[in-house]
Amino acid sequence: MDHTRFEKARIIGARALQISMGAPHLLDVPEGEVDPVKIAMREYRNGVIPITVRANKTPRIKITTV
Amino acid sequence: MAKKDTVTALVKRGITEAVAEPVADKFTMVTLKKASVEDIKAIGLNEEDAKHLLDAIGGKALSPKKTTVKKAAGASGRAKKIVSYVIPLDERPSVPVITEPEANGKLRKEINAILKKTGRALPRAVIDKLVAKLLGREVTKPKLLEIVSTIAADYDAHLMDPTEACGIVGAQSIGEPGTQMTMRTFHYAGVAEINVTLGLPRLIEIVDARRSPSTPMMKVCLEGPAKVNPKYAEIVANQIEITKLIDVCDVEVDINNLVINLIPHKKELERKEIELENIQDALVKVKKTSTEIVGNRIVLSLDEPGYKKILMVNKAIRDIKIKGIDGIARAVIRKESDEGYVIYTEGSNLAEVMNIDGVDKTKTTTNDVQAIYEVLGIEAARNAVMTEAYSTLSEQGLTVDFRHLMLVADVMTSDGTVRAVGRQGISGEKSSVLARAAFEITVDHLLRAGQKGETDGLDGVAENIIVGQPVNLGTGAVKLAFDYNRIKGGI
Repeated sequence: MDHTRFEKARIIGARALQISMGAPHLLDVPEGEVDPVKIAMREYRNGVIPITVRANKTPRIKITTV
Repeated sequence: MAKKDTVTALVKRGITEAVAEPVADKFTMVTLKKASVEDIKAIGLNEEDAKHLLDAIGGKALSPKKTTVKKAAGASGRAKKIVSYVIPLDERPSVPVITEPEANGKLRKEINAILKKTGRALPRAVIDKLVAKLLGREVTKPKLLEIVSTIAADYDAHLMDPTEACGIVGAQSIGEPGTQMTMRTFHYAGVAEINVTLGLPRLIEIVDARRSPSTPMMKVCLEGPAKVNPKYAEIVANQIEITKLIDVCDVEVDINNLVINLIPHKKELERKEIELENIQDALVKVKKTSTEIVGNRIVLSLDEPGYKKILMVNKAIRDIKIKGIDGIARAVIRKESDEGYVIYTEGSNLAEVMNIDGVDKTKTTTNDVQAIYEVLGIEAARNAVMTEAYSTLSEQGLTVDFRHLMLVADVMTSDGTVRAVGRQGISGEKSSVLARAAFEITVDHLLRAGQKGETDGLDGVAENIIVGQPVNLGTGAVKLAFDYNRIKGGI
């Protein structure tokens, strides 16, 4: 299933933080590319980021019957 | 009336002479109006003709029902608000089952098959619209596949993402146009000089879920002969509009004899179809008095005559209801191109109006949301909140997407009653102390929570902002995890 735009933002954000702190990149980085966010986005597009979304097990809204 | 006159009168109303002749043998126009279908069948007409005949002369075929209505109204008596109308199961009208034409069904099946094959889903309303548009056009199977998948893709693209802050988007989308509303608009809504509150005051009224609107109004749609014939529409209107004693009579106090003379306006009585006896019946309610018809006037006398008393009674009887429905001050008939004759009323009483014969119960509405909730139930109230808010906004030329209003209506009605948005309603009932404190009367809420030892689960938006945490919405609601499977192959 596709990620929602919120999930996308969080995954790319988390990965960009890793890269900015010196994590090894998973794809070859094109010459002159230094922006960690752009590198993370390229990795996301290619589907190589090892991050997934945890399902929210407890529903935030409790349904009560009247 | 001679027989000949009766026949010509009937023919004038669209009855064939063959039918009119035997009828005129037995009835005059006056007795015919009071006759039931059975009475007419007794002289050798079939039921259809009899009904047609009664429809044509004034719909008194409805008369047996009318009496029951009056009784019901009397039984509920002084209770002004009818809390619920529960119709016994066996008396409920059966809902007609609308069967779809064969072509529609076939098309629908094909669409559903395509959706199943492509693993997509569409709501029924969308499919209905598609079927309606496709009817009468030649669509090949591959073309249909293309159409359906395009629609399904578009539909998916328009879905809200989970954890999206739809409430805030809705609030802003209603709030911004709201700032452009003229602050105070009283408007002759174009509807026959009936004054209706519109604009911001009305919007506030809807959202606050007030007990009754400041200008209650009804649109009463008609059915049967009343829908097409203004004469019958007026009969219905007369039954709805309240008629007080003072509207049809001059009240004169005779101080010498200590009696009150009621001198009726003949024309008014005729127009409103009121007999002197009806007035007398209404006056029974006035205690310790008796009435008597003398000539063409009514004389009201006291059981214990007294000068002061007679003046008091004189004041009291002026506003006595002779005919009509409580709360409905005025009724105006208008012809509408698509609905036929429609009655607009000032004042509202949905339960009683729906009981009148000739009123189309399925289309009649009021702007009193609370009344709709009481008479028709919570789903109808939800619908009313939506449509009332929407029409108020669009009347001012503001376009707000209907779905924002649907959300508001959903929140207001989700617990089975119509709750206001605001302190007394939704915001005041939040479970979180911090959220309530952030909204209004901060100190009170915190103090009370401290006394009771309440806990706060930090589930909502306001609480998390106060403690400085990411809010449980949008990106804040997404929890990430290391994807072990992805990494198995090694970096």
